[in-house]
Amino acid sequence: MKVALAQISPHLGNVKKNFDLHLKYIEKAKRKNVDLLIFPELSLTGYTLKDLVGEVALSPDSDPFFDELKTASRDVSLVFGFVEEKERGLFYNSAAFLSEGKILHIHRKVFLPTYGMFEEGKFFALGKNFHTFSTPYGNTGMMICRDFLHYGACYLLFAGGSEIIIVISAAPGRGIQGKEAYETSRMWESMGETISLFSTAFLIYCNRVGFEDGKHFSGGSFIYNPMGKLVAKASYLDNEFLFQEINLDDIREVRKKWPYKRDDRPEIILEALKRIIGKYED
Amino acid sequence: MKINEPFVEKILTAFIREELSKFNYKKGILGLSGGLDSAVCASLAAKALKPSNVVGLIIPYGETFSEDVKDAQEFARLLKIRSRTINISPMVDAYFSSYPTENKILKGNKMARERMSILYDFSAREKALILGTSNKTELLLGYGTIHGDMACGINPLGDLYKTQIKQLAEYLGIPEKIRKKIPSAGLWIGQTDEEEIGLSYDEIDKILYQLVDKRTPKKDIIASGFKKETVEKIISLIKNSEFKRKLPPIPKISSRSVGHDFLFPFDWDK
Repeated sequence: MKVALAQISPHLGNVKKNFDLHLKYIEKAKRKNVDLLIFPELSLTGYTLKDLVGEVALSPDSDPFFDELKTASRDVSLVFGFVEEKERGLFYNSAAFLSEGKILHIHRKVFLPTYGMFEEGKFFALGKNFHTFSTPYGNTGMMICRDFLHYGACYLLFAGGSEIIIVISAAPGRGIQGKEAYETSRMWESMGETISLFSTAFLIYCNRVGFEDGKHFSGGSFIYNPMGKLVAKASYLDNEFLFQEINLDDIREVRKKWPYKRDDRPEIILEALKRIIGKYED
Repeated sequence: MKINEPFVEKILTAFIREELSKFNYKKGILGLSGGLDSAVCASLAAKALKPSNVVGLIIPYGETFSEDVKDAQEFARLLKIRSRTINISPMVDAYFSSYPTENKILKGNKMARERMSILYDFSAREKALILGTSNKTELLLGYGTIHGDMACGINPLGDLYKTQIKQLAEYLGIPEKIRKKIPSAGLWIGQTDEEEIGLSYDEIDKILYQLVDKRTPKKDIIASGFKKETVEKIISLIKNSEFKRKLPPIPKISSRSVGHDFLFPFDWDK
Protein backbone atom coordinates (compact mmCIF):
# COMPACT_ATOMS: atom_id res chain seq x y z
CA MET A 1 0.00 0.00 0.00
CA LYS A 2 1.33 3.43 -0.95
CA VAL A 3 0.86 6.17 1.64
CA ALA A 4 1.73 9.86 1.34
CA LEU A 5 1.72 12.61 3.94
CA ALA A 6 1.27 16.23 2.89
CA GLN A 7 3.25 18.17 5.49
CA ILE A 8 1.96 21.60 4.46
CA SER A 9 1.47 25.09 5.81
CA PRO A 10 -2.19 26.02 5.22
CA HIS A 11 -3.38 29.60 4.64
CA LEU A 12 -5.10 30.83 7.78
CA GLY A 13 -8.82 31.28 7.29
CA ASN A 14 -8.87 30.87 3.50
CA VAL A 15 -10.64 27.64 2.50
CA LYS A 16 -10.42 28.28 -1.25
CA LYS A 17 -6.63 28.68 -1.19
CA ASN A 18 -6.27 25.59 0.96
CA PHE A 19 -8.59 23.60 -1.26
CA ASP A 20 -6.33 24.48 -4.22
CA LEU A 21 -3.30 23.45 -2.17
CA HIS A 22 -5.00 20.11 -1.46
CA LEU A 23 -5.68 19.60 -5.19
CA LYS A 24 -2.01 20.22 -5.93
CA TYR A 25 -0.95 17.49 -3.52
CA ILE A 26 -3.71 15.18 -4.77
CA GLU A 27 -2.32 15.53 -8.32
CA LYS A 28 1.15 14.76 -7.02
CA ALA A 29 -0.20 11.71 -5.18
CA LYS A 30 -2.04 10.48 -8.27
CA ARG A 31 1.15 10.66 -10.31
CA LYS A 32 2.82 8.37 -7.79
CA ASN A 33 -0.17 5.99 -7.61
CA VAL A 34 -0.69 6.75 -3.93
CA ASP A 35 -3.52 4.84 -2.27
CA LEU A 36 -3.96 7.06 0.77
CA LEU A 37 -2.99 10.74 1.06
CA ILE A 38 -3.10 12.39 4.50
CA PHE A 39 -3.19 16.10 5.35
CA PRO A 40 -2.68 17.70 8.80
CA GLU A 41 -5.23 18.96 11.34
CA LEU A 42 -7.47 21.77 10.06
CA SER A 43 -5.68 21.52 6.71
CA LEU A 44 -8.57 23.22 4.88
CA THR A 45 -8.65 26.22 7.23
CA GLY A 46 -5.45 26.75 9.23
CA TYR A 47 -5.29 26.41 13.00
CA THR A 48 -5.41 29.75 14.88
CA LEU A 49 -8.93 30.56 13.73
CA LYS A 50 -10.52 32.10 16.83
CA ASP A 51 -13.70 33.90 15.70
CA LEU A 52 -13.14 32.75 12.11
CA VAL A 53 -14.31 29.26 13.11
CA GLY A 54 -17.92 29.93 12.08
CA GLU A 55 -16.87 31.60 8.83
CA VAL A 56 -14.79 28.70 7.53
CA ALA A 57 -17.05 25.86 8.70
CA LEU A 58 -18.23 23.30 6.14
CA SER A 59 -21.16 20.91 6.08
CA PRO A 60 -19.84 17.71 4.49
CA ASP A 61 -23.21 16.76 3.00
CA SER A 62 -23.81 19.98 1.10
CA ASP A 63 -20.44 21.66 0.64
CA PRO A 64 -19.12 22.00 -2.95
CA PHE A 65 -15.45 21.66 -1.83
CA PHE A 66 -16.39 18.43 -0.12
CA ASP A 67 -18.12 17.19 -3.27
CA GLU A 68 -14.94 17.76 -5.27
CA LEU A 69 -12.79 16.06 -2.67
CA LYS A 70 -15.19 13.12 -2.65
CA THR A 71 -14.79 12.88 -6.42
CA ALA A 72 -10.99 13.06 -6.05
CA SER A 73 -11.16 10.20 -3.53
CA ARG A 74 -12.15 7.83 -6.35
CA ASP A 75 -8.49 7.99 -7.43
CA VAL A 76 -6.80 8.41 -4.05
CA SER A 77 -8.24 8.00 -0.57
CA LEU A 78 -7.98 11.18 1.49
CA VAL A 79 -7.71 12.21 5.11
CA PHE A 80 -7.85 15.92 5.89
CA GLY A 81 -8.85 18.34 8.62
CA PHE A 82 -11.61 20.93 8.53
CA VAL A 83 -14.10 22.83 10.65
CA GLU A 84 -17.37 20.92 10.57
CA GLU A 85 -20.76 22.45 11.17
CA LYS A 86 -22.52 19.27 12.18
CA GLU A 87 -25.60 20.87 13.60
CA ARG A 88 -26.41 24.53 12.99
CA GLY A 89 -24.06 26.67 15.04
CA LEU A 90 -22.05 23.76 16.48
CA PHE A 91 -18.50 23.71 15.14
CA TYR A 92 -16.17 20.73 15.45
CA ASN A 93 -12.45 20.32 14.80
CA SER A 94 -12.92 17.33 12.48
CA ALA A 95 -11.01 14.84 10.36
CA ALA A 96 -12.60 13.20 7.31
CA PHE A 97 -11.67 9.89 5.67
CA LEU A 98 -12.83 9.86 2.04
CA SER A 99 -12.50 6.87 -0.25
CA GLU A 100 -14.09 5.64 -3.49
CA GLY A 101 -16.18 8.79 -3.73
CA LYS A 102 -17.69 8.43 -0.26
CA ILE A 103 -17.17 9.70 3.26
CA LEU A 104 -16.14 6.63 5.24
CA HIS A 105 -15.83 8.39 8.57
CA ILE A 106 -15.62 11.77 10.28
CA HIS A 107 -13.78 11.97 13.60
CA ARG A 108 -14.50 14.97 15.81
CA LYS A 109 -11.67 15.98 18.13
CA VAL A 110 -12.45 14.96 21.69
CA PHE A 111 -9.56 16.40 23.67
CA LEU A 112 -9.54 20.12 22.89
CA PRO A 113 -6.48 21.72 24.54
CA THR A 114 -7.54 24.84 26.41
CA TYR A 115 -4.73 26.20 28.57
CA GLY A 116 -1.65 28.37 28.14
CA MET A 117 -1.24 29.03 24.42
CA PHE A 118 -4.20 26.80 23.44
CA GLU A 119 -7.84 27.91 23.32
CA GLU A 120 -9.68 25.27 21.32
CA GLY A 121 -12.33 24.69 23.98
CA LYS A 122 -13.35 28.31 23.57
CA PHE A 123 -14.24 27.92 19.92
CA PHE A 124 -15.03 24.26 19.22
CA ALA A 125 -17.70 21.79 20.31
CA LEU A 126 -16.48 18.56 21.83
CA GLY A 127 -16.39 15.29 19.88
CA LYS A 128 -17.64 12.28 21.80
CA ASN A 129 -16.26 9.12 20.26
CA PHE A 130 -13.27 7.16 19.03
CA HIS A 131 -14.56 4.94 16.31
CA THR A 132 -12.84 2.23 14.30
CA PHE A 133 -14.20 1.98 10.77
CA SER A 134 -13.52 -0.23 7.82
CA THR A 135 -11.57 0.99 4.78
CA PRO A 136 -10.19 -0.71 1.65
CA TYR A 137 -6.89 -1.07 3.57
CA GLY A 138 -8.19 -2.49 6.83
CA ASN A 139 -9.84 -1.30 10.03
CA THR A 140 -8.80 2.24 10.69
CA GLY A 141 -9.07 4.76 13.51
CA MET A 142 -8.39 8.49 13.53
CA MET A 143 -7.32 10.96 16.17
CA ILE A 144 -6.60 14.67 16.03
CA CYS A 145 -3.45 16.04 17.67
CA ARG A 146 -4.04 16.15 21.44
CA ASP A 147 -6.35 13.10 21.25
CA PHE A 148 -3.20 11.09 20.57
CA LEU A 149 -1.50 12.16 23.79
CA HIS A 150 -4.34 10.62 25.82
CA TYR A 151 -3.51 6.95 25.85
CA GLY A 152 -7.11 6.09 26.73
CA ALA A 153 -8.05 7.35 23.27
CA CYS A 154 -5.37 5.17 21.69
CA TYR A 155 -6.66 2.20 23.69
CA LEU A 156 -10.20 2.71 22.37
CA LEU A 157 -8.94 2.48 18.81
CA PHE A 158 -6.91 -0.61 19.68
CA ALA A 159 -9.90 -2.21 21.44
CA GLY A 160 -12.09 -1.24 18.49
CA GLY A 161 -9.82 -3.22 16.19
CA SER A 162 -7.84 -0.52 14.37
CA GLU A 163 -5.01 -1.88 12.26
CA ILE A 164 -4.11 1.54 10.95
CA ILE A 165 -4.15 4.51 13.31
CA ILE A 166 -4.04 7.91 11.68
CA VAL A 167 -3.22 11.05 13.67
CA ILE A 168 -3.53 14.45 12.05
CA SER A 169 -1.90 17.27 13.93
CA ALA A 170 -1.14 21.00 14.14
CA ALA A 171 1.42 20.81 16.91
CA PRO A 172 3.42 23.95 17.68
CA GLY A 173 7.03 23.35 18.70
CA ARG A 174 8.46 24.43 22.05
CA GLY A 175 11.94 24.18 23.52
CA ILE A 176 15.13 25.05 21.61
CA GLN A 177 17.79 23.12 23.45
CA GLY A 178 17.34 19.97 21.38
CA LYS A 179 19.51 18.74 18.52
CA GLU A 180 17.58 19.44 15.33
CA ALA A 181 13.98 19.63 16.52
CA TYR A 182 11.83 21.33 19.11
CA GLU A 183 11.90 19.45 22.39
CA THR A 184 8.16 18.78 22.09
CA SER A 185 8.69 16.73 18.90
CA ARG A 186 10.04 13.95 21.07
CA MET A 187 6.71 13.38 22.83
CA TRP A 188 4.90 12.71 19.54
CA GLU A 189 7.62 10.31 18.44
CA SER A 190 7.57 8.59 21.78
CA MET A 191 3.80 8.04 21.52
CA GLY A 192 4.21 6.94 17.89
CA GLU A 193 6.72 4.28 18.81
CA THR A 194 4.81 3.08 21.87
CA ILE A 195 1.32 3.01 20.43
CA SER A 196 2.36 1.31 17.18
CA LEU A 197 4.36 -1.32 19.07
CA PHE A 198 1.73 -2.14 21.69
CA SER A 199 -1.26 -1.84 19.37
CA THR A 200 0.56 -3.89 16.73
CA ALA A 201 -0.86 -1.40 14.25
CA PHE A 202 0.52 1.09 11.74
CA LEU A 203 0.74 4.55 13.25
CA ILE A 204 0.67 7.41 10.77
CA TYR A 205 1.21 10.93 12.15
CA CYS A 206 0.84 13.93 9.85
CA ASN A 207 1.81 17.29 11.34
CA ARG A 208 1.97 20.70 9.67
CA VAL A 209 4.67 23.34 9.35
CA GLY A 210 4.79 27.14 9.09
CA PHE A 211 4.04 30.00 11.47
CA GLU A 212 0.70 31.36 12.67
CA ASP A 213 0.78 34.41 14.93
CA GLY A 214 4.33 33.46 15.92
CA LYS A 215 3.44 29.85 16.78
CA HIS A 216 5.75 27.54 14.85
CA PHE A 217 4.33 24.18 13.81
CA SER A 218 6.98 21.55 14.18
CA GLY A 219 6.51 19.10 11.28
CA GLY A 220 8.36 15.82 11.75
CA SER A 221 5.49 13.70 10.37
CA PHE A 222 6.17 9.97 10.61
CA ILE A 223 5.04 6.41 10.03
CA TYR A 224 5.72 3.58 12.50
CA ASN A 225 5.09 -0.02 11.48
CA PRO A 226 3.25 -2.51 13.75
CA MET A 227 6.60 -3.62 15.19
CA GLY A 228 7.20 -0.12 16.57
CA LYS A 229 9.85 0.63 13.94
CA LEU A 230 10.09 4.01 12.26
CA VAL A 231 9.67 3.53 8.52
CA ALA A 232 9.32 7.13 7.30
CA LYS A 233 10.03 10.53 8.72
CA ALA A 234 9.56 14.05 7.32
CA SER A 235 11.79 17.03 8.04
CA TYR A 236 11.03 19.15 11.07
CA LEU A 237 10.45 22.60 9.66
CA ASP A 238 9.84 22.34 5.93
CA ASN A 239 6.98 21.59 3.58
CA GLU A 240 7.23 18.00 2.44
CA PHE A 241 5.46 15.33 0.46
CA LEU A 242 6.43 12.18 2.37
CA PHE A 243 5.89 9.04 0.31
CA GLN A 244 6.13 5.54 1.76
CA GLU A 245 5.12 2.06 0.70
CA ILE A 246 3.91 -0.06 3.63
CA ASN A 247 3.17 -3.75 3.83
CA LEU A 248 -0.18 -4.49 5.46
CA ASP A 249 0.86 -8.12 5.98
CA ASP A 250 3.14 -6.80 8.73
CA ILE A 251 0.07 -6.51 10.96
CA ARG A 252 -0.73 -10.23 10.64
CA GLU A 253 2.89 -11.25 11.11
CA VAL A 254 3.47 -9.23 14.24
CA ARG A 255 0.14 -10.21 15.79
CA LYS A 256 1.14 -13.87 15.50
CA LYS A 257 4.27 -13.10 17.47
CA TRP A 258 2.89 -10.54 19.94
CA PRO A 259 -0.76 -11.40 20.68
CA TYR A 260 -1.66 -8.18 22.56
CA LYS A 261 -4.80 -7.87 20.50
CA ARG A 262 -5.87 -11.47 21.03
CA ASP A 263 -5.26 -11.17 24.77
CA ASP A 264 -6.94 -7.80 25.25
CA ARG A 265 -9.77 -7.81 27.81
CA PRO A 266 -11.91 -4.73 27.14
CA GLU A 267 -14.72 -6.09 29.35
CA ILE A 268 -12.36 -6.10 32.37
CA ILE A 269 -11.16 -2.59 31.53
CA LEU A 270 -14.77 -1.44 31.16
CA GLU A 271 -15.85 -2.88 34.52
CA ALA A 272 -12.80 -1.42 36.23
CA LEU A 273 -13.53 1.99 34.66
CA LYS A 274 -17.11 1.82 35.87
CA ARG A 275 -15.87 1.13 39.39
CA ILE A 276 -13.48 4.12 39.17
CA ILE A 277 -16.25 6.39 37.90
CA GLY A 278 -18.60 5.02 40.56
CA LYS A 279 -16.28 6.38 43.21
CA TYR A 280 -16.43 9.96 41.87
CA GLU A 281 -17.68 12.42 44.42
CA ASP A 282 -20.46 14.79 43.40
CA MET B 1 19.14 28.09 28.99
CA LYS B 2 21.66 26.95 26.38
CA ILE B 3 20.25 26.96 22.87
CA ASN B 4 20.98 24.95 19.77
CA GLU B 5 22.28 27.82 17.62
CA PRO B 6 21.86 26.40 14.08
CA PHE B 7 18.30 25.29 14.91
CA VAL B 8 17.41 28.71 16.33
CA GLU B 9 18.99 30.42 13.33
CA LYS B 10 16.88 28.27 11.02
CA ILE B 11 13.67 29.05 12.94
CA LEU B 12 14.24 32.79 13.13
CA THR B 13 15.29 33.23 9.50
CA ALA B 14 12.23 31.20 8.45
CA PHE B 15 10.08 33.41 10.66
CA ILE B 16 11.43 36.63 9.13
CA ARG B 17 11.03 35.30 5.59
CA GLU B 18 7.54 33.94 6.19
CA GLU B 19 6.15 36.97 8.02
CA LEU B 20 7.43 39.37 5.36
CA SER B 21 5.92 37.32 2.59
CA LYS B 22 2.57 37.02 4.44
CA PHE B 23 2.31 40.78 4.66
CA ASN B 24 3.66 41.34 1.14
CA TYR B 25 6.97 42.89 2.07
CA LYS B 26 10.25 42.17 0.30
CA LYS B 27 12.33 44.31 2.59
CA GLY B 28 13.02 44.56 6.29
CA ILE B 29 14.21 47.66 8.12
CA LEU B 30 15.70 48.02 11.57
CA GLY B 31 17.56 50.46 13.77
CA LEU B 32 21.26 49.63 14.07
CA SER B 33 22.76 50.89 17.31
CA GLY B 34 26.18 49.30 17.10
CA GLY B 35 25.12 46.97 19.93
CA LEU B 36 24.53 43.26 20.17
CA ASP B 37 20.77 42.82 19.70
CA SER B 38 20.40 44.90 16.55
CA ALA B 39 23.53 43.25 15.12
CA VAL B 40 22.07 39.78 15.67
CA CYS B 41 18.73 40.83 14.21
CA ALA B 42 20.40 42.40 11.16
CA SER B 43 22.52 39.33 10.63
CA LEU B 44 19.47 37.04 10.76
CA ALA B 45 17.59 39.34 8.39
CA ALA B 46 20.51 39.39 5.94
CA LYS B 47 20.46 35.58 5.92
CA ALA B 48 16.67 35.36 5.67
CA LEU B 49 16.34 37.95 2.90
CA LYS B 50 18.91 39.15 0.43
CA PRO B 51 21.29 41.61 2.16
CA SER B 52 20.15 44.22 -0.37
CA ASN B 53 16.62 43.82 1.05
CA VAL B 54 17.69 44.80 4.55
CA VAL B 55 17.94 48.46 5.53
CA GLY B 56 19.83 49.38 8.68
CA LEU B 57 19.04 52.84 9.98
CA ILE B 58 21.73 54.32 12.19
CA ILE B 59 20.01 57.05 14.17
CA PRO B 60 22.42 58.79 16.54
CA TYR B 61 21.85 61.84 18.68
CA GLY B 62 24.62 64.16 17.51
CA GLU B 63 28.17 63.04 18.16
CA THR B 64 27.37 61.49 21.55
CA PHE B 65 28.00 57.91 20.50
CA SER B 66 30.30 58.32 17.50
CA GLU B 67 32.13 55.08 18.27
CA ASP B 68 28.86 53.10 18.18
CA VAL B 69 27.89 54.82 14.93
CA LYS B 70 31.19 53.77 13.40
CA ASP B 71 30.71 50.18 14.60
CA ALA B 72 27.17 50.08 13.20
CA GLN B 73 28.32 51.46 9.83
CA GLU B 74 31.18 48.98 9.64
CA PHE B 75 28.87 46.13 10.57
CA ALA B 76 26.36 47.13 7.87
CA ARG B 77 29.23 47.08 5.34
CA LEU B 78 30.30 43.67 6.59
CA LEU B 79 26.78 42.27 6.15
CA LYS B 80 26.46 44.05 2.78
CA ILE B 81 23.09 45.46 3.86
CA ARG B 82 21.98 48.98 2.97
CA SER B 83 22.45 51.57 5.68
CA ARG B 84 21.74 55.19 6.29
CA THR B 85 22.73 57.48 9.12
CA ILE B 86 20.26 60.08 10.35
CA ASN B 87 21.12 62.48 13.14
CA ILE B 88 18.16 63.19 15.42
CA SER B 89 19.71 66.06 17.36
CA PRO B 90 17.95 68.83 15.34
CA MET B 91 14.50 67.41 16.10
CA VAL B 92 15.22 66.48 19.70
CA ASP B 93 16.99 69.77 20.47
CA ALA B 94 14.16 71.76 18.89
CA TYR B 95 11.71 70.12 21.28
CA PHE B 96 13.79 70.45 24.41
CA SER B 97 14.64 74.08 23.67
CA SER B 98 10.92 74.76 24.12
CA TYR B 99 10.45 72.32 26.99
CA PRO B 100 13.81 72.07 28.72
CA THR B 101 14.60 69.36 31.23
CA GLU B 102 17.62 67.87 32.94
CA ASN B 103 15.84 64.55 33.45
CA LYS B 104 17.94 61.97 31.59
CA ILE B 105 15.10 59.48 31.31
CA LEU B 106 12.78 62.02 29.71
CA LYS B 107 15.49 62.91 27.23
CA GLY B 108 16.29 59.29 26.54
CA ASN B 109 12.64 58.35 25.99
CA LYS B 110 12.18 61.26 23.62
CA MET B 111 15.19 60.09 21.61
CA ALA B 112 13.90 56.51 21.52
CA ARG B 113 10.55 57.77 20.19
CA GLU B 114 12.24 60.05 17.68
CA ARG B 115 14.08 56.99 16.35
CA MET B 116 10.79 55.09 16.23
CA SER B 117 9.20 57.92 14.28
CA ILE B 118 12.01 57.87 11.73
CA LEU B 119 11.92 54.08 11.45
CA TYR B 120 8.19 54.16 10.70
CA ASP B 121 8.67 56.95 8.18
CA PHE B 122 11.39 55.01 6.39
CA SER B 123 9.36 51.83 6.67
CA ALA B 124 6.70 53.54 4.54
CA ARG B 125 9.22 55.18 2.16
CA GLU B 126 11.07 51.91 1.62
CA LYS B 127 8.02 49.62 1.85
CA ALA B 128 9.98 47.68 4.46
CA LEU B 129 8.65 45.92 7.56
CA ILE B 130 10.19 47.02 10.86
CA LEU B 131 12.12 44.26 12.60
CA GLY B 132 12.13 44.73 16.37
CA THR B 133 15.21 44.07 18.45
CA SER B 134 13.76 43.74 21.97
CA ASN B 135 14.93 40.57 23.68
CA LYS B 136 13.01 38.46 26.20
CA THR B 137 14.94 39.89 29.17
CA GLU B 138 14.03 43.47 28.24
CA LEU B 139 10.43 42.59 27.43
CA LEU B 140 9.95 40.86 30.78
CA LEU B 141 11.62 43.58 32.82
CA GLY B 142 9.99 46.36 30.80
CA TYR B 143 13.47 47.73 30.12
CA GLY B 144 12.52 49.65 27.00
CA THR B 145 10.63 52.76 25.94
CA ILE B 146 6.98 52.08 25.18
CA HIS B 147 6.24 53.26 21.61
CA GLY B 148 9.98 53.82 21.30
CA ASP B 149 12.49 51.02 20.83
CA MET B 150 9.73 48.50 21.65
CA ALA B 151 7.72 49.48 18.55
CA CYS B 152 8.01 47.18 15.53
CA GLY B 153 6.16 45.09 12.95
CA ILE B 154 7.55 41.75 14.04
CA ASN B 155 10.00 40.90 16.79
CA PRO B 156 12.27 37.98 15.88
CA LEU B 157 14.34 38.14 19.09
CA GLY B 158 11.47 38.44 21.57
CA ASP B 159 11.73 34.89 22.94
CA LEU B 160 15.49 34.85 23.51
CA TYR B 161 17.14 36.00 26.73
CA LYS B 162 20.10 38.35 26.50
CA THR B 163 22.53 35.56 27.39
CA GLN B 164 21.02 33.38 24.65
CA ILE B 165 21.45 36.23 22.17
CA LYS B 166 25.11 36.44 23.17
CA GLN B 167 25.41 32.73 22.44
CA LEU B 168 23.69 33.13 19.07
CA ALA B 169 25.87 36.16 18.24
CA GLU B 170 29.03 34.15 18.58
CA TYR B 171 27.64 31.44 16.33
CA LEU B 172 26.57 34.04 13.75
CA GLY B 173 30.09 35.47 13.72
CA ILE B 174 29.16 38.94 14.99
CA PRO B 175 32.47 40.86 15.40
CA GLU B 176 34.02 40.53 18.82
CA LYS B 177 34.01 44.29 19.31
CA ILE B 178 30.20 44.32 19.21
CA ARG B 179 29.85 41.13 21.23
CA LYS B 180 32.10 42.32 24.03
CA LYS B 181 30.44 45.71 24.41
CA ILE B 182 28.82 46.44 27.73
CA PRO B 183 25.07 46.41 27.03
CA SER B 184 23.59 49.90 27.01
CA ALA B 185 20.25 51.40 26.03
CA GLY B 186 22.31 54.35 24.80
CA LEU B 187 20.04 56.94 26.38
CA TRP B 188 22.98 58.84 27.88
CA ILE B 189 26.75 58.57 28.07
CA GLY B 190 28.00 56.03 30.55
CA GLN B 191 24.60 54.40 30.94
CA THR B 192 24.77 50.63 31.21
CA ASP B 193 21.81 48.29 31.45
CA GLU B 194 23.24 46.28 34.28
CA GLU B 195 24.12 49.30 36.39
CA GLU B 196 20.72 50.85 35.82
CA ILE B 197 18.82 47.67 36.62
CA GLY B 198 21.25 46.97 39.44
CA LEU B 199 21.86 43.34 38.46
CA SER B 200 23.98 41.47 35.94
CA TYR B 201 22.30 39.96 32.87
CA ASP B 202 23.74 36.63 33.84
CA GLU B 203 21.94 36.74 37.17
CA ILE B 204 18.74 38.29 35.77
CA ASP B 205 18.43 35.68 33.04
CA LYS B 206 19.00 32.78 35.39
CA ILE B 207 16.23 34.06 37.64
CA LEU B 208 13.87 34.90 34.77
CA TYR B 209 14.43 31.48 33.23
CA GLN B 210 13.40 29.83 36.49
CA LEU B 211 10.46 32.18 37.10
CA VAL B 212 9.08 32.27 33.57
CA ASP B 213 10.18 29.22 31.63
CA LYS B 214 10.35 26.73 34.49
CA ARG B 215 7.51 28.24 36.57
CA THR B 216 9.66 27.68 39.68
CA PRO B 217 8.07 29.12 42.85
CA LYS B 218 9.81 32.19 44.26
CA LYS B 219 10.78 30.46 47.49
CA ASP B 220 12.54 27.65 45.60
CA ILE B 221 14.53 30.15 43.53
CA ILE B 222 15.65 31.91 46.69
CA ALA B 223 16.47 28.55 48.29
CA SER B 224 18.64 27.68 45.28
CA GLY B 225 21.00 30.54 46.19
CA PHE B 226 19.65 33.84 44.84
CA LYS B 227 19.19 36.81 47.15
CA LYS B 228 15.61 37.40 48.25
CA GLU B 229 15.81 41.13 47.38
CA THR B 230 17.12 40.34 43.90
CA VAL B 231 14.32 37.87 43.12
CA GLU B 232 11.73 40.27 44.52
CA LYS B 233 13.12 43.15 42.50
CA ILE B 234 12.84 41.13 39.31
CA ILE B 235 9.27 40.08 40.11
CA SER B 236 8.34 43.68 40.80
CA LEU B 237 9.91 44.87 37.52
CA ILE B 238 7.88 42.24 35.65
CA LYS B 239 4.66 43.18 37.43
CA ASN B 240 5.05 46.90 36.92
CA SER B 241 5.75 46.66 33.21
CA GLU B 242 2.81 44.54 32.08
CA PHE B 243 1.36 47.68 30.43
CA LYS B 244 4.28 47.68 28.01
CA ARG B 245 3.40 44.19 26.83
CA LYS B 246 -0.32 44.71 26.27
CA LEU B 247 -2.67 46.86 24.26
CA PRO B 248 -4.32 49.48 26.48
CA PRO B 249 -7.50 48.33 28.23
CA ILE B 250 -10.78 49.31 26.63
CA PRO B 251 -13.91 49.53 28.78
CA LYS B 252 -16.20 46.80 27.56
CA ILE B 253 -19.62 48.35 27.11
CA SER B 254 -20.93 46.80 23.88
CA SER B 255 -21.80 43.23 23.01
CA ARG B 256 -18.58 42.70 21.08
CA SER B 257 -15.48 44.72 21.74
CA VAL B 258 -11.93 45.13 20.48
CA GLY B 259 -9.55 43.67 23.01
CA HIS B 260 -12.22 41.48 24.65
CA ASP B 261 -14.29 39.25 22.43
CA PHE B 262 -13.52 40.44 18.93
CA LEU B 263 -11.00 37.67 18.47
CA PHE B 264 -9.14 37.30 15.22
CA PRO B 265 -5.65 36.03 14.46
CA PHE B 266 -2.82 38.40 13.59
CA ASP B 267 -2.13 36.30 10.46
CA TRP B 268 -5.76 36.56 9.33
CA ASP B 269 -6.07 35.27 5.74
CA LYS B 270 -2.29 35.19 5.26
